[in-house]
Amino acid sequence: MTHVVTDACERCRYTECVAVCPVDCFHADAARLYIDPDVCIDCGACIPACPVHAIVDAFDLTAEQERWLAVNAEMCTSLPLITEQEAALPTADARRAELGF
Amino acid sequence: MADDNRTVLGACPHDCPDTCSMVITVKDGKVASVAGNPDHPFTDGRLCVKVNHYEERVHSPDRVLYPMKRTGPKGTGQFARISWQEALDTIGTKWKAIIAESGPTAILPYSYLGTQGTLNGLNAGDPFFNKMGATISERTFCDSGACTGYIMTLGPTAGMDPESLQYSKYIVLWACNPMSTNTHMWPFIAEAQKRGAKVVVIDPARTRSAQAADWHIAVKPGTDAALAMGMANVIIAEGLVDKEYVDAYTTGYDELAQRAAEYTPEKVSSITGVSVDDIRKLAREYAKSQPSAIRIGVAIERNGSGGQAVRALSCLPALVGAWRKPGGGILQLPLWAFPINWGNLMRPEWVQPGTPVLNQWLLGRVLTGEQPDAPGIRSLFVYNANPMVVAPEQDKIRKGLEREDLFTVVSEHFLTDTARYADIVLPATTQAEQFDLMFSWGHLYMTMNLPWIAPIGESVPNTELFRRLAKTMGFDDPQFSYTDEELAERSYDWTAPTLQGITLDRLKREGWARLNVPAPDQYAPHAAGGFPTPSGKVELKASMAAGGNFVLPVFRQGSNEFQDGTPVDPLPGWTKPPAGDGLPFALLSPKSHAFLNSGYGNLRRQQAHAGEQHVVINAADAAARGIGDGATITVFNSTGAFQAVAKLSDEVPTGVLQSPMGYWPGAGGSVNAVNTARFGDLGRAPSFSDTRVNVRAGA
Ligand code: SF4
Ligand code: SF4
Ligand code: SF4
Repeated sequence: MTHVVTDACERCRYTECVAVCPVDCFHADAARLYIDPDVCIDCGACIPACPVHAIVDAFDLTAEQERWLAVNAEMCTSLPLITEQEAALPTADARRAELGF
Repeated sequence: MADDNRTVLGACPHDCPDTCSMVITVKDGKVASVAGNPDHPFTDGRLCVKVNHYEERVHSPDRVLYPMKRTGPKGTGQFARISWQEALDTIGTKWKAIIAESGPTAILPYSYLGTQGTLNGLNAGDPFFNKMGATISERTFCDSGACTGYIMTLGPTAGMDPESLQYSKYIVLWACNPMSTNTHMWPFIAEAQKRGAKVVVIDPARTRSAQAADWHIAVKPGTDAALAMGMANVIIAEGLVDKEYVDAYTTGYDELAQRAAEYTPEKVSSITGVSVDDIRKLAREYAKSQPSAIRIGVAIERNGSGGQAVRALSCLPALVGAWRKPGGGILQLPLWAFPINWGNLMRPEWVQPGTPVLNQWLLGRVLTGEQPDAPGIRSLFVYNANPMVVAPEQDKIRKGLEREDLFTVVSEHFLTDTARYADIVLPATTQAEQFDLMFSWGHLYMTMNLPWIAPIGESVPNTELFRRLAKTMGFDDPQFSYTDEELAERSYDWTAPTLQGITLDRLKREGWARLNVPAPDQYAPHAAGGFPTPSGKVELKASMAAGGNFVLPVFRQGSNEFQDGTPVDPLPGWTKPPAGDGLPFALLSPKSHAFLNSGYGNLRRQQAHAGEQHVVINAADAAARGIGDGATITVFNSTGAFQAVAKLSDEVPTGVLQSPMGYWPGAGGSVNAVNTARFGDLGRAPSFSDTRVNVRAGA
């Protein structure tokens, strides 16, 4: 099993998760991040770090969120690794407010 | 209970080197959540896949909360609630009768590190059972073989500080998969890697750690001792020895050099499956990249030459002078840095001469009467342990536990496969509901666990359990009326230099404290020798070998009688394992990523993370047997059999299978059904990595 980045990350991309992750398991495109299920050790550190609650223990995924499991696995096969924290997207604060956090 | 909202500093109770400092949130009197303490340098704000939701364990609807007695046939799990008084009366009456008829040695305690706190852990019941005169339980579940080999070579020294690994130039993780079983050490390794260090993993399987390493060397199972001796061979033959260090701080160099000469790269290559070039390269890089570090995992001891592998590996840092700088040396068990009053924990002076000792790997044979010279056991008392999952020869254990004439008492959190066979089940507190003080076998911090909430139901900590049992048996020594705080005070030598500035009060306030040792960038404990061996030096040729094979008294309730005593070669080397019925596969049974030994094998979250009980098999081996990915297969040998799902992967080479330990067998079996109780070469370690099996498709 693994941890999963859900759609809340989109247009936000604070990358706090990358700063706390003890292994190299985050991959990124311009819009958001994904977790490589083969590398994630399920330590859970990224969950409280994410300001928009985008990351979920796969065990806790709702039926609606379930699809992100395959998306994360799939995207990590081609996207580059991100190992250092980056600046949030300019849309981040608006997105965060929209999500109610 | 409403309005009881607090944050508490606690400590993870588990048999894991990381001993995390925890921050617990209590809401309305219940444990709402747990988190890693961000202020603790080793924990660094994270826990792990096992413990992230400890509240689910504490408040599980499946908890055993009251004493119970058996109401149906053994193993069927039919129990009825009784009072503590009735439970204690039943146990007292039964034990007094057994002692009167057969003597106290007909009673056997069985325990390990279900919780590893100083008070409730390894030695929690030792004073009680030593007072009683029960048969002594020799607990060599983990690291005993490595300890014997390490201590013969280096003495009981803490060795390296794991935090110093960030300053290492070369790190060899040998039989060690920190990504799954020592996760908080990984960032220090990653930091070293970032600073240019090379990380090498030596393991038959391409583990998570091997995948993150710079170099994975897939050694054949059980041949580590040969590879280590091959390294010594190259280091000596190519003049890579730190002569000055060896002259000043070792004994037996000439003899070791002579022995190592037998392990030419060519010979070692044929034993280990590692190429001659790789053996040379590993030895050269390890010797030349100072400071270099070796971290051995608990799996290293699990074969017929495992103890000697630890001996050989413990010699290497001295040969290359790795001890000279912080970040150099070997890391096995930093536990020895803690000034523990083992005598007060165990009360070995109460052991009567002649009290028999039984090794706990032999439980199945002992209970079924197959173990020669074992005293007849009429009562078994299990706490902190689940032998049906963690001990080998599972079928024999089950058969033994079915014995109608065996009076079994189990203290537990859950109705485990072992507890299902009990006559009396007693409710044990979780870490949430008990006071304890933690040492660590993976870092240099003391950690305090204040109770987070009141005990649930009628559960009691082990300290209270043994106070009650002592009263029942009429033992009135002051030992059995000490409070938990008094026990904590008595457990350590608070005047020792390593505890200067550390008090119980401070620990209660702050939750944790680093031992009073130099900072990780300064810590080089053996830069100028000072090894706690008989000679004060690294004993490349071990003088302690003359006494024969032994298990440290801390693993045997303080007793030093009836030691194994078989001759030990004072020089390290590799011995060919037995043929194993000519079966085609070596089976490895490492610790699971999501379970903690047998712990969490019953909880849904961790079950989901661990996946179904499975066997990793190389695709070529699977294809040859018509086994598809996800198919049910049977693993078998002359000891037993179990079913699991096949997981096809090149993470294991052909000829090797891997099936993690920790799954609860229920009516079926798990990997310990095929593991045998044969000991490794030193310290009565298990020999699980020598297990040979065959597989077939289907159930
Ligand atoms: S912290 Fe949360 S929002 Fe930010 S990048 Fe990570 S998952 Fe996305
Ligand atoms: S759970 Fe841990 S390992 Fe997995 S992505 Fe989050 S921080 Fe990284
Ligand atoms: S099991 Fe180990 S890593 Fe997990 S919380 Fe406990 S001490 Fe930390």
